[in-house]
Parts: sequence; C-alpha cells; structure tokens
Amino acid sequence: MTIASAVRKLLALAALLIVVWAFFDVGRRVVVRWSSKHERPIQLTVVHWGEQAEDSIVDALVQRYQRENPHVQINRINPGATDFRSKLKTMLAAGTPPDVFYLPPDSFPELASLKLVHPLDDYIKKDIDAGGAKTKALYDDFFPIVMDAYRYDAATGKVGTGPLYGLPKGFTTAVMYVNLDLFQQAGVNVPYDGWTWDDFEVACRKIAALSQTPQYVGRRIYGASFDFWPDTLRQVLWSFGGDYFGPGGFRDVTLDEPGAQEAMEFIRRLRFVDKTVYNNTGVSTEGKQEFYTGNIGCIGPYGRWMTPRYASISNFRWDVVPVPYKRKQDRASLMFYTAWTMSAKTRHPDESFKLIKFLCAGPGAVDQSRLGLEIPPLKSIAFSPDFLEPPGIPRYHAKTFLDQIPSIRLQQLPRDAEFWTRLVDDKSKQALALNEVTTMQNAKDIEQLWLNELNSPLRKDEFKPMRWDLVVFTTIAVLAALVTLLWIRARREKLGPLDRATERTGYLFILPWLIGFIALSLGPMVVSLLLSFSKWSGMAPMGEALSVGGANYRELVARDPKFYQSLKVTICYVALAVPLAQITAIAVAMLMNVRVRGIAVYRTVFFIPSLIVASVVGAVMWRQMYNNEYGMVNALLRPLLHPFGTTPPDWLGRDARYWAIPAFVLMSVWGVGGAMILYLAGLKGIPVSLYEAATIDGAGRTRQFWNVTLPMLSPLIFYNVVMGIIGSFQVFVQAMVMTDGGPNDFTLFYVLQLYRQAFVFHNMGYASAMAWVLFLILLGLTVLVFRGSKNLVYYEGLKA
Amino acid sequence: MGQSPRPVIPAQTDPRRPKYRSMEQTSRLEKITAYTLLIVGSLIFLIPFYFVINASFKTEAQVNAGDFIRPPAKASEVHVGNYPRSLAPDKMDFWPALSNTVVITTLCVIGQVVSCSLVGFGFARFRFRGRGLLFMIMLSTMMLPAQVVMIPVFILFRTLGMIDTFWPLIIPMWLASPFYVFMFRQFFAQIPEELLEAARIDGASNWRVYWQLMLPLSTPVIAIVAIYTFLAAWNDFLGPLIYLNSPENRTLALALNAFRGEYGISDVHLLMAASVVTMLPCIVLFFAAQRYFVESVAMTGLKS
Repeated sequence: MTIASAVRKLLALAALLIVVWAFFDVGRRVVVRWSSKHERPIQLTVVHWGEQAEDSIVDALVQRYQRENPHVQINRINPGATDFRSKLKTMLAAGTPPDVFYLPPDSFPELASLKLVHPLDDYIKKDIDAGGAKTKALYDDFFPIVMDAYRYDAATGKVGTGPLYGLPKGFTTAVMYVNLDLFQQAGVNVPYDGWTWDDFEVACRKIAALSQTPQYVGRRIYGASFDFWPDTLRQVLWSFGGDYFGPGGFRDVTLDEPGAQEAMEFIRRLRFVDKTVYNNTGVSTEGKQEFYTGNIGCIGPYGRWMTPRYASISNFRWDVVPVPYKRKQDRASLMFYTAWTMSAKTRHPDESFKLIKFLCAGPGAVDQSRLGLEIPPLKSIAFSPDFLEPPGIPRYHAKTFLDQIPSIRLQQLPRDAEFWTRLVDDKSKQALALNEVTTMQNAKDIEQLWLNELNSPLRKDEFKPMRWDLVVFTTIAVLAALVTLLWIRARREKLGPLDRATERTGYLFILPWLIGFIALSLGPMVVSLLLSFSKWSGMAPMGEALSVGGANYRELVARDPKFYQSLKVTICYVALAVPLAQITAIAVAMLMNVRVRGIAVYRTVFFIPSLIVASVVGAVMWRQMYNNEYGMVNALLRPLLHPFGTTPPDWLGRDARYWAIPAFVLMSVWGVGGAMILYLAGLKGIPVSLYEAATIDGAGRTRQFWNVTLPMLSPLIFYNVVMGIIGSFQVFVQAMVMTDGGPNDFTLFYVLQLYRQAFVFHNMGYASAMAWVLFLILLGLTVLVFRGSKNLVYYEGLKA
Repeated sequence: MGQSPRPVIPAQTDPRRPKYRSMEQTSRLEKITAYTLLIVGSLIFLIPFYFVINASFKTEAQVNAGDFIRPPAKASEVHVGNYPRSLAPDKMDFWPALSNTVVITTLCVIGQVVSCSLVGFGFARFRFRGRGLLFMIMLSTMMLPAQVVMIPVFILFRTLGMIDTFWPLIIPMWLASPFYVFMFRQFFAQIPEELLEAARIDGASNWRVYWQLMLPLSTPVIAIVAIYTFLAAWNDFLGPLIYLNSPENRTLALALNAFRGEYGISDVHLLMAASVVTMLPCIVLFFAAQRYFVESVAMTGLKS
C-alpha cells in the first residue's frame, strides 16, 4: 500500500513538473516568435508536403533563405501528403491562402480556372530582363516537357499550352522494379532496353513456375504485381494504344474501345486465369510488402520514389526497367510531377516568386535529387552523378528514368479531375481486382456514372450569387423580432424581486454554455443550412457562393448513386455494430462484476482500446491486422478453420463485398470499453436486495438476469444505444485510413463521402446538404428509439 | 463508438451495509468461469497491442516484409534504438510537441471542469423561465455531427485572428460541453436542498455556495470530466490539423501523422514506437485513476 501511494505521489509530482516545464517551453517560444515577427516586415506562408527527409531539406532551405533575406519571415506548414489538400482548401476557403505552395497536378486545372494561382510568365520575363544571359540559361536548363506540364489553357481546358502556373521542383517517369534474382533463376533476360507485353507475359509464366522448384518450396512466387491507381492504370492503357478519353473531349470516354479493352482484359487474364500476376486486392498494403518478401518478379508502374525505400532490401538484388508496350508505336511514358506555385492573392508577389525560384533551382536542387525521390527539374543536375548515383542507394540503372523522358505524354484531365480519378479508382477494381463483372461492362458502368455526374443540373452555369446581404438582414430582423417578443412576454409575467434575482443568477451561471451554443453551434448551423442551398467550391471566398435553391437536396435524393451506397454501407454497419457492441459490453461488465482479483488490470485492458479505436494509430494497426497474408487476424483464424477445409476471408480485399463491414464491426467491438465501464458502474448500482428478493421468489440466475439485471440496466442501455447510433453513423477515421472507401465502394461510409464532397470534390454546398441530411436522420432515429423504448425502459422512481 | 461518459443509474448511498452483489453470492464454478473468460477476453483485446509493441522493436526490413507476428527470438533482435530514433527532431520531434500538447490539455481540462460545473449548477439549482427548453436544446446539440459546423466555426476563429494559435482548441472547452454539463446537473440535482438552504442562511452568496460547497462535493464528477477531457484533448487530431499551422505548434497527434508520407507510411516500425510513447500517458493515467474512476461513474448517478 505504501509503495502504491509512493508511486502515485511520484507520478503526480512528475506530472506537475511536466506541466510547469511545458508552460515554460511554450511561453519561451511565443516570446521568440513575437520578437522575430517585429524584426521582419514581410511574412510569407509556405505550404508543402513530404516525409521527414524532404521536410528537413525544405526546412534547411527556408532557414537559409531567411538568413540571406533578413526582412523576410517564412511560416512553413507541412500537413503531410494525405492532409495537404484539406489543409490548403481550408486556408483558401478562409481567405488566408498561403503565398507559396506545392501545386498538385490534378487540382491545378481547377485552381487555375478559379484564378487562385498566379501565372508566372511575367515574373520569369522580368527576371531574365534583369539577370541577362545567365538567368536565361538557368530557365533553359529546366526540362521543357515539365514546364509544359504546368501550362494550362483555360479556354480549351488542355494542359501543355497557355500561361505557366508553376515552377517544377521535380518529376519522375514510370518504370517497373524487377527482382534480379528471380529473373536470373527463371532464365529471363532483364529487359533494360524495353520489352513488349508478350515478353512480359512469358516472363511472368517462367517466374511463377519457380514456385514448383525445390528452392522455393512452401513459397508462392508471382511473375509480377501491378499497383494501380488512375495514373498508373492510364500508363498501361496507353501502352496498349488505349486511353480514358478520346478526341471528342472529356465526355468521350473510350474505355470500351479496343485499346483500353485489350489492356483491361490482359490484366484480368493474368490475374485471374493465368494467376501469374499477384492480385493485390485494391486496399494496397502499406510498404508494398509483396515485393519486399522476394516473391514478386516485378512490380509497378512506379516512379522514382520507391528507390529510397527499396534501398533497405538486403535479401535480393533489384533494378528498374521500362514499362512494357504492346506495339512499338504505343510506347508512352507517364509523368508524375510537382511544382511550386504562388497564390493569386499574395500581397508580396515579387518576394514570393523569388522564393519559388530559390526553392526550385537554388542550392536545394542537388540535395533534393540526392533524396532519390524524383528527377530534378534541371537538366544539368539530372545528368550529373548526384542523380545517377545517389549516395546510400545501391547502384542501379537510374538512367532508365531519363531514357523515358522523350516518350513522355502529358496527361489531359478534366477540370473535375478528382471526381474522375476517384470514380476510376473505385469502380475499375470491380473488374480488375474483384473479377465481378466483365471489362466491357465495367467500362460501360464507368462511362455511365461519369456522364451522370457531368449532366448534373448543379453543373449548369445559370445560378445567381447568394444574396448574403439579404441573408444577414433577414437574420438580424428575425433575431430582433424574437428578442422583442421574448422581452415583451417576460415583462408581462409578474415575478417577485427574489424570483427575478434568481433568474438573473441562473442565466449568469449558464452563460458560458449560452455563448458557446450561439457562437459554436447555432450560428454555424444556420450558416451551414444556408450553404446547403448554395454551390460553393470552398476555395473561393464565401461571398462568391451561388444560390441553387433545393438543387443540392434534389441531386442527393434523385441522382446520386454514391449517396445511397454510403447510406447502405453505414446502415449495415450501425445495425451490426450497435447491438453487438452493447452485448459485448454488458457481458464483459457482468464478468468483471463477479469480484475477481486483479480487477484493475482487466478494467484497464478492456478500456484502453476505446481510446485509440477511432485514431489514426488504431486504424493503421487494424489495417495491418486484417492483411490477408501477414495479418494477425487471419494468422489466428487459419489454423482454426483448417480442419473444416476453409480459409479465412480476405477481409478488406477480395471478399470485401461481404466481409469488409464485419471487419469494421469487429474493430468497433474492440473499442467498446467506454460503454463497458458505464455498464460496470450500472451493475454496481443495482441494490442487492432485489436479487435477494428474486432468490426468495425462486428465480434462478437466468431469470434474475432477465427480470432484475436487464430492467435495472435499461436506462443505461437506452442511453448507450442512442449514443452508439450517433457515434457509429459518424465513422470516419477508420474508413479513411483502413480502406479509403474501397474496394468498389464497399466501405464508403457516409461521413467519408461527405468529407470527399467537401474537401476533395470542392462541393461545400453539397456537403452541407449531406451533413444536414445526416443530422435529420439522426434526429429521426433518436425520436424513434425514444418512442420505441417507452415500454422497454424502466425508470426507477419515475414520478408520473 | 463514442467514448464520452454516459449517465448512470444512481447508487443509493448507505455505506454501512453491503448493498450490492458480493463475493458470497458467487459460487466457485462461476468464479472459475469468470476468470477463464476474462483472461481469454483480455488476451484477445490485447492482441493489437502486442502487434504494435512487437512491431516497434523490429527493423524496417522485417516490417516491410510483413513480419509483425513473430516475437523476437533473442535479445539482439529487440531493436530498442527505434524509440530514441522515432522521437528525434528529424522524425517525430517529440519534445516541442509534448509541451504543446500538455499546455493545451491542461487548459482544456481546467476550462471544461470550471465551465461545465458552473452551467450544471445553473441548470440544477436555479429556476428561470426557459430552463427546460434550453436544457432540451443543449441535449439535442449532442446529436449535431461535427461536420455540420466545421467550416463556419473555422471561419469564425479566422475572423478572430486565432489561426495557428492554441485558442481555437481551448476556448470551446471553456464554453461547456453538453455531455459534462449533463453529468454535473444530474449530480447537483441530487444534493439535498436543506444543505444549500443552510449555507444561504449563513450568508453565503450563490458564488460561494458553488465554489465552497458544490464544487468540493462533486469531486467524483470532476474526476470523470477531467479524465475524459484529458483523453479527448490528448488524442484530438482533426482540431489541431485544421487550426495549427507552424511545425513548432504541432501536437503529438499531428507529429505522429508526420509518419504518413506521400507514398504511404515510410517507417512503420518507428511509427509504432512513437505511438507507444504517445499512448503511454493515457494508459498510465487510466490505470492510476481507474478504481476511483469506476466508483465515480457509479456515484454520479443520472436518470434520463
């Protein structure tokens, strides 16, 4: 006991010390920042993404730039690649765009046509005029094709011509990574100078046949593994002479034409008929494990970013080769690229441009290329040893990346690139990863969904701006009328001075909540309700929102298949998760209510998961757990199911149609600790006299449970069910991290779809409408549960 | 599932005789069954933690090859160095993130306890017109999905010039959350009126009644509210993501997110190590407080 209390005191002291230190540390930094703000009049905000290595390079560059330019203060923000878009868009929506930022290729047509990014041509011209031949040589040193990729002509909607919107910081062509050992053992020549898909097919067959050799006993060897997302899938379509869109523009989807069909059929055949190509099921495994294991002959198409990762491989030798092609004339390489750009609304355009130039072509360019993630934009560096033989990476044919440059084809994407890429990403898996429909049917489905989106009434340009002035005026008028009405009514009722004083004090005490309610709930709700009748990209200021009346709601109910899909997924999940979680919670609580030793440990063990179940860590963890090959769940189930001659499902992959939702349910049951603690407390609150009386009346354990325990717990169950429904309807982080809605929308949860509409497809008004529909559904369900439970819930001491 | 505190059936408070089911009532067989089930259940619940902790001691190559399950065979296979490496400035940059998180969490806990107890007291102990209606409105705001109000609230804080400061994370906590107000109200409503009357007759003002009588009485509720607020603030991800910008303002949850790179997670083993360190205070806190905690929940009492 004394030890325990000593430990407790020590812990408390440590906690106190940490708090004191934390306040001191934060205070010190605030002072430092405040003083530096006053020394440097020009403030530039820079937003980018990147892992730690890239982050520290950008940081070093920024520090150096600040040293060289003492009047500039740079605030650097790195929200990480996955959250970059939502961060950028919240900043744009709030009217505080960053001055300089990374420009993702797929959102750049949209940003350019909304005039949110600034053309750079004038600044380059000015710079050349001032700097002369040396400066001109610097700009000429950029690979022209990468510069062209950042030209956009708003009139034609095509990339490649028009004003320049960004200065490239790096790019990469696509290649296949090969396992040299497997190629050698299978007797396949490494195709450094290119190969056809027929060569590829033969190589796959030879390598997969290694599974039968004694050297690989117990291992399953595959010839190749494709990693598809819309960009890399397009690369393969190109190499068969196909494409997403025909000459007729972005309405002309050509997935059903021979080239694309041949490619899709080829992929399907190798994966499902020949089975020489590994079918990674769509929920890509973190770290691309298949290749690391040495069981995969080649993997791709990937850019250069994989080389630093694969540098850690020690169990086999690897290299890079070109992507195969069907016919010689079909050779085409995809390009992945990123640029620095500047906001059209920056207050310091000249300073911003200077910074962009410094970041792209300054002293950092060599460091960037040594990272090994991409090809530097400057020819002089790309053809230098800094690129060709980066330190820390085993020697490989880095030149293969450069060899693909002449065959680069620019990717044309519609203005709503994000909708298109999402659509292809989700839907194509139905044919290519799940093998549920024919490739022709799949192509037709994609085309139909795309045209459905393009024909949406919301896309017409006939809407008038929202009359915010009118809205503000009406709101003020309604509020004023309401206050006056209340005031008059309050005056009419005669109250004694004491009552009046009590009333005033009462309101004073609840004032914090009243302020919070008006500022953080009611006001924002009204604003979002208004937004739900508008069309607003969320990137332009709110004043530019267009009024669409009920069109958002009509679209939702009448035309949006994803709305119904997300509703279906969520309802299935809620219907399974809520009852199962409550039953588990009650069962565990009852077990713990039997006075056992070590209860403290059990309580902690069962409660702690509830803290992380909805966090990024929890989701990443469970995603690994459900991995078909390496995950813990199937590792445990396999021996259990083996005697019955079955194997466990590929939860989030091939068997996702039926097993993905149960996988999420299982995870939610794991996180049921909060409810369990409450049930435990509830059980402890049931008077023992009730059980004694029941025993005297001859009731056994089972009857005691049904007639005493359950009724006494019923208010709690009711409460937990309501909160459980509300919580389960809002599942988001798990879905986002574990499956991102896929495959084929089998895990497209409602809030995930809402988030996509708001932050991926820029339909803030539509997202607001979705949020309101969710609110109404929850309200309706709660009322329903209230009604339905009237006779089921027992309230002790309820006064009629 | 929400992990917020839920209201609970009131306990009758008569400490002299045992009122609840006790050991005497459970047979030997039942106890053995309970033990067995509890141990098996705990093991199942602990599997993911084993997974994380095991992975946190592996090398990058092992983790990349899907080697998560096998425990290390010998001491040299335990890579303790993952921990200092994951916390280093070029990875997670742990210490500034820790001080930021501690400051935010501390201010949130204080704010939540103060504001919720004030409002709960107001709702429980003062008659004013509109009280019932306002209370119902307050409860119904619990159903409001955060997504409904996210953007407008962001615009509000931007107008106040509070972006990239801790204030947008702290201020809402000083404006009372419905959940905890509800708990305080239910607790304060149980306290006999005579006690308050006696204090008032002695000349205590409403403020003093709150500060010197009600607040000290409500330690069990304060404990729950404090712990839940601590956990929520410590683990909050979306709030810091939206409102904080500069790297030096990052919280632990954001710093963890830095492991998620452009092309997936680069250092899974380091991420796992960092996650263990980040989770540890929560586990220690709950373990140290859990007995008190469960009793508090039982004592708080609530009826819908």
